[in-house]
Amino acid sequence: MQLDFVNRELTIKLVYYGPALSGKTTNLQALHRVAAPGSSGRLMTLETKDDRTLFFDLLPLSFRAQSGLAVRLKVFTVPGQVIHASTRRLVLQGADGVAFIADSRVSETQANTDSFMDLKDNLREHGLSLRQMPLVIQFNKRDLPNIRSDEEIAKLGAQGREPVYLAIAMRGAGVVESFIGLLHLTWSALDAEHDLGRKFGFDSTEFMNGVAQKLGEKRTTPELLAACVGGALDVLRPEAAP
Amino acid sequence: MTISAPRDRVEELTVGGGARLEELVDRESLAQLAASFADLSGVGVRVFDAEGKLLADAALAVELMSYLMTLRQAKSAVESTVSSVKNLDPGPVGQASMDGVSGGRYRVVALEHDGRRVGRLVFGPYFPPSLRDIPSTLIELEPNLDLDRARGLLTLAPRVTDDAMDRMAKHARATLDVVMFSGLRALLTGSMHLAAVRESYRELQSKQEKLQVAYDRLKELDRLKSNFLATVSHELRTPLTSIIGYSEMLLEGIAGEIVGEQREFVTTIREKGEQLLGLIKGLLDLSKLESGTMSLRKATMEVAPLVRDVAQTMAPHAKKKGISLHVALEPALPALWADAERLRQVLLNLVENAIKFTPASGSVTISARAAAMAAAGGGGEDGGLVLLGAQRAAVQFRVADTGIGIPESERQRVFDAFYQVDSSSTREQGGTGLGLSIVKRLVEGHEGTVHVEANAPQGTVFVVTIPLKRATLRP
Ligand SMILES: Nc1nc2c(ncn2[C@@H]2O[C@H](COP(=O)(O)OP(=O)(O)OP(=O)(O)O)[C@@H](O)[C@H]2O)c(=O)[nH]1
Ligand SMILES: Nc1ncnc2c1ncn2[C@@H]1O[C@H](COP(=O)(O)OP(=O)(O)OP(=O)(O)O)[C@@H](O)[C@H]1O
Ligand SMILES: [Mg+2]
Ligand SMILES: [Mg+2]
Repeated sequence: MQLDFVNRELTIKLVYYGPALSGKTTNLQALHRVAAPGSSGRLMTLETKDDRTLFFDLLPLSFRAQSGLAVRLKVFTVPGQVIHASTRRLVLQGADGVAFIADSRVSETQANTDSFMDLKDNLREHGLSLRQMPLVIQFNKRDLPNIRSDEEIAKLGAQGREPVYLAIAMRGAGVVESFIGLLHLTWSALDAEHDLGRKFGFDSTEFMNGVAQKLGEKRTTPELLAACVGGALDVLRPEAAP
Repeated sequence: MTISAPRDRVEELTVGGGARLEELVDRESLAQLAASFADLSGVGVRVFDAEGKLLADAALAVELMSYLMTLRQAKSAVESTVSSVKNLDPGPVGQASMDGVSGGRYRVVALEHDGRRVGRLVFGPYFPPSLRDIPSTLIELEPNLDLDRARGLLTLAPRVTDDAMDRMAKHARATLDVVMFSGLRALLTGSMHLAAVRESYRELQSKQEKLQVAYDRLKELDRLKSNFLATVSHELRTPLTSIIGYSEMLLEGIAGEIVGEQREFVTTIREKGEQLLGLIKGLLDLSKLESGTMSLRKATMEVAPLVRDVAQTMAPHAKKKGISLHVALEPALPALWADAERLRQVLLNLVENAIKFTPASGSVTISARAAAMAAAGGGGEDGGLVLLGAQRAAVQFRVADTGIGIPESERQRVFDAFYQVDSSSTREQGGTGLGLSIVKRLVEGHEGTVHVEANAPQGTVFVVTIPLKRATLRP
């Protein structure tokens, strides 16, 4: 997070992580499609080969809260292919929140696990722990056959600490929900750590509703947040408290 | 802001302060873009960065303005307009206009990138079609104005409506926006390339460091092992010598006559004891050689007697196995500067192996001849001989047999301690696999080399090359 007191400007870095081809880039494309033109910059795709991300994708979003604070969100994807380990670590650096995009297919279970361990390792390299990092998990590609069942995910999700979302990123389903969940968690953590609400006279609910609106949502934030299966959205991570 | 590592650079460009206009757009291209825009619209355009530095200047000559610049009062008025325009803040809407004394109008447009102001475009002067005549302010200001001439020049000046200016400004901004986006992408790509290379390098280096630590540990362990071996084998030897001594005494009947199976058993005890002693001596030699504590007692020594002595020693052994043993010596071999006892050990080991791994009715030949070797110790086969040193005179020993041979792939490894080619015949022969590792170290102690060749049509040749004393370097 970068805070510019003079210009009343806050920049937050969000990273979409996950195994190769799980749909990270597709998530960003879907967000870019629904975002109001004034809120979203161009989606920058940095170096691809056969549609595989080599460095990262970057979607800049910006919102102005009623208090006058400008909130700039930089949404990144990492390259999922195993060989790009060092690039993933670079992109992850300085992340304020992470959305882990998993591939729902049963065949991809191991790849999801490996990538998640890789996330954990890379966070540790940066001196961070998974517990401290605001994190949501998305099970993408719900439209495909041979996927892990809703019941299984709901059951496991209910036991875990991270909010879990189901998505068909290709059709844009579940994309905004996941993003709002991630933003909510990230904001809560940053607010708890830096007391942003008080410093900037900032109303989180109003802000989140504004973001949802700019992403073409008619639903309110609580409704969007409720789309998750399991996990804790309202509980602040104890480690994140000052 | 100072920019250090490329990783920080990427961060700076994405989540940090962002890039400056000059970094996003190549100045040369910006100048061309501005010029072509001025060409198309007939209105001059200048580009400033956020700090007010002029990056591109495509001013068009407007004759009316040139004329005004020749007059004193008008000139200073025009100059003051130009300088105010330069500093005009486009305000929160990002656009502002200013009229000059000539009636010419300037338009200032903010350039934004990623939600931040990175510079300004200044268009003008252009003359709105609504301007019918030279403004009265100018007439009052400049006493020397030739009004007819000024009016004539006004008809030639660029006429643009504010609406048209709006559209042109919007177009210029959009064009620059695309250029800046591509610029940023190129900038980020470059920085990421660098950062990724650095990161990989860092990763490699940290792995390398870990390897080095592990390697140092291994080396230390190896040293400990050698020490351990030396101590243990020494401690083992003492009681073993007694065991052998006492069993010999028993066999000699000193403690009374022993008969039949008793003799057989005691003989076995003595044989096995000696075998064990051999092994321990070997280990001791090896650990001494490894720790570098074995001292070679070098002296001038003749080659021929050494070879003949080895052959003589091994002859009974060969005969027992039905193997013929030959010696082939070149006449007038040079003398060596070497430890005769250790060289003897080398040859004995090789001949023993040759006999061991050659079936009955085979043959073993020990030969010696004068030869030369690279002074650097065996280098130069892959080129660069001229750099690796002059040739050094040497004596070459060859122990050739017609036995089972050693496959190409094993020829390096037979010199490793305890390594034995895994064939059933080797297993049958027994042995510990220490012989050749001792040979190799002894030969290297003499700055020599040892290697294995195949013998035609079958069998093995061990080739040992020992250089002469350095002083005998050939010219
Ligand atoms: N059926 C289906 N396919 C999807 C869905 N989301 C993404 N895909 C497809 O999955 C493939 C990979 O998607 P990307 O978004 O490029 O994957 P990525 O995670 O960015 O992959 P890397 O850049 O290699 O790490 C593409 O062909 C997408 O069209 C989905 O919800 N359903
Ligand atoms: N002349 C040879 N022909 C075929 N194989 C050989 C010959 N000399 C050595 N070898 C192979 O190399 C291995 C290592 O030889 P080395 O002399 O080190 O051990 P060894 O003879 O088995 O045991 P030790 O010499 O310790 O009693 C042997 O076991 C054998 O497999
Ligand atoms: Mg991708
Ligand atoms: Mg041997």
